[in-house]
Amino acid sequence: MRVLALHPEKCTGCLRCELACSYMQTGAFQPSKSVIRVSPFESYTSYAPYTCTQCAEGWCMTACPVGAIRINAAGAKDVVDDTCVGCKLCTIACPYGTMFYDGDTAKAYKCNLCDGAPACAEACPTQAITFEEVSTADWIGDFAAQRTAYVLAREMA
Amino acid sequence: MATRHLIIGGGTAGLNAIRTIREEDGGSSEITLVSAERPYSRMVLPYYLGKSIAESHVFTATPASLAAWTVKTHIGRRAAQLDARNRVLTLDDGVKVEYDDCLIATGSRAAKQPVPGADGPGIHCFWTLDEARAVIAGVTPGSRVVMVGAGFIAFTILNAILSRGAKLTIVEVAPRILPRMVDEACAGVVQRWLEQHGVGLRTGATLTKIAEARGKRKLHFKKGAPLLADVVIMATGIRTNLEWLRGSGIETADDGQGGIVVDDHLRSSVKTVYAAGDVARGRNLVTGAAEVHAIEPTAQEHGRVVGANMAGRDVAYRGSLLMNIVEVCHLDVASFGQWDDPKADVYTALRSGQSQYRKLLFHGGRLTGAMICGPANDIWTTNDVGMLKGLVYSGVDLAAWKAHLKQNPFDIKPAFMATRTTGRLLPQTVLGRPSNSPELPQTVTAK
Repeated sequence: MRVLALHPEKCTGCLRCELACSYMQTGAFQPSKSVIRVSPFESYTSYAPYTCTQCAEGWCMTACPVGAIRINAAGAKDVVDDTCVGCKLCTIACPYGTMFYDGDTAKAYKCNLCDGAPACAEACPTQAITFEEVSTADWIGDFAAQRTAYVLAREMA
Repeated sequence: MATRHLIIGGGTAGLNAIRTIREEDGGSSEITLVSAERPYSRMVLPYYLGKSIAESHVFTATPASLAAWTVKTHIGRRAAQLDARNRVLTLDDGVKVEYDDCLIATGSRAAKQPVPGADGPGIHCFWTLDEARAVIAGVTPGSRVVMVGAGFIAFTILNAILSRGAKLTIVEVAPRILPRMVDEACAGVVQRWLEQHGVGLRTGATLTKIAEARGKRKLHFKKGAPLLADVVIMATGIRTNLEWLRGSGIETADDGQGGIVVDDHLRSSVKTVYAAGDVARGRNLVTGAAEVHAIEPTAQEHGRVVGANMAGRDVAYRGSLLMNIVEVCHLDVASFGQWDDPKADVYTALRSGQSQYRKLLFHGGRLTGAMICGPANDIWTTNDVGMLKGLVYSGVDLAAWKAHLKQNPFDIKPAFMATRTTGRLLPQTVLGRPSNSPELPQTVTAK
């Protein structure tokens, strides 16, 4: 299956992915509604995008008491709006922090790979987000470890 | 002859077991379901009460879906007696069901506080669908509702009662609200928030009796003025449905929590009898102790593990993480794991002006419990909720981050990312294989 591969060393923090994502997911250009999140590192001098890995367990999907989270044609776990009641159980079941809740619709939502044409990857000007036929992975762990080492060392000193 | 599986209880654990058996065996076994009620999700009843969903939305299986999965049903019947040695269950109408292996998933029931008058009219629990219907009929715009008990169950229906236009007062015997879900500091944040949103709260109030007064309920307390109510909702705890097992030889624990003693495959003392959900004394993921976790996610995981094992797989269960989340008047409150552990290193942070609270509990470098509270529209709260679960669930080593988190309990994200928690979690699955979409299997092959 094709997944979103994240290459944080290429991310410039331009947030185009958040704009594109929020528009695709909610119809509004509103980064606070994006399900891909750009995290700052080293006092806002480097950045890493972060989103759902489409994990094998699908914690959100198995936790949903009404079966509102399903696997779509792109292989992504996706919330069926008409079925979701907004109980937020998926938000505590997902151990990655990539389940979201829209207060305006009172529904959960998440990365559904835009049904096979992810807007974030298309919007990224530096190929920090690509849509590829690879195994999903911890794309930002090494980067985050590297970019936080200095801050932690300074705090310890 | 095909293996005969018997599922006793049509709640979350039972239905997940059935689905998993069919995922594994494609229909080659016999499944019989005994359920006192038509299967529905208790989790979503508050949304039915709040009118955001229709009653039809609460059902987790229909006669058609059960037929498609080739499940024989005894709906409306209760288990009366288990003869574990001869593998026969007797139902309350005398019908006997033979099985090769069986799952006990009979769940819990609500328990009213036993005060005089508690069984009078207009006094309800909110646990079953029938109870939900009774509350819906009684709670009308302008009606005065008194909720006895300020625990998790009470809080799940708080929004719905307010959305029906009722005036709500919550009374709690403990000195504070949510005594088994959050600590005192967090309870204080929630309490102030609720008072700002027009919910009456009375803590440390011991209910002594409920009397009838001109068509209304009059609640009397040990101290303080009585309260008048049109509708009283008793959210005063639950009891596991295990009495019917007496004499079966199935070992149950006799401490306060009770529950069927199970091994790591969720088998009881009789190896052909499994237990799951509220009645099972399963493993606590964090401590390794045997405990009853009467929460939806545990019932779901137990049910899936039992289903896989019944279908012939060999699935050991890692254990369940105690966790709860509730939103009241757009304030999110969640806790994970051992949040009330006096032996842990505890770091807390309170931003009282923003109604935000965090609590992190460590044993060495390991996060063993966490608490989070904040306005639901704060998107960073939502992200952190999941990451806290991931940190507690994975048991990742946070030693390098402990000092930072002590100073900055709100700064979870970099710690989650830099400790490669995602990488630790990705290979982990409950059943040792990827999960299936819930609509599968829609049909199974006929024998």
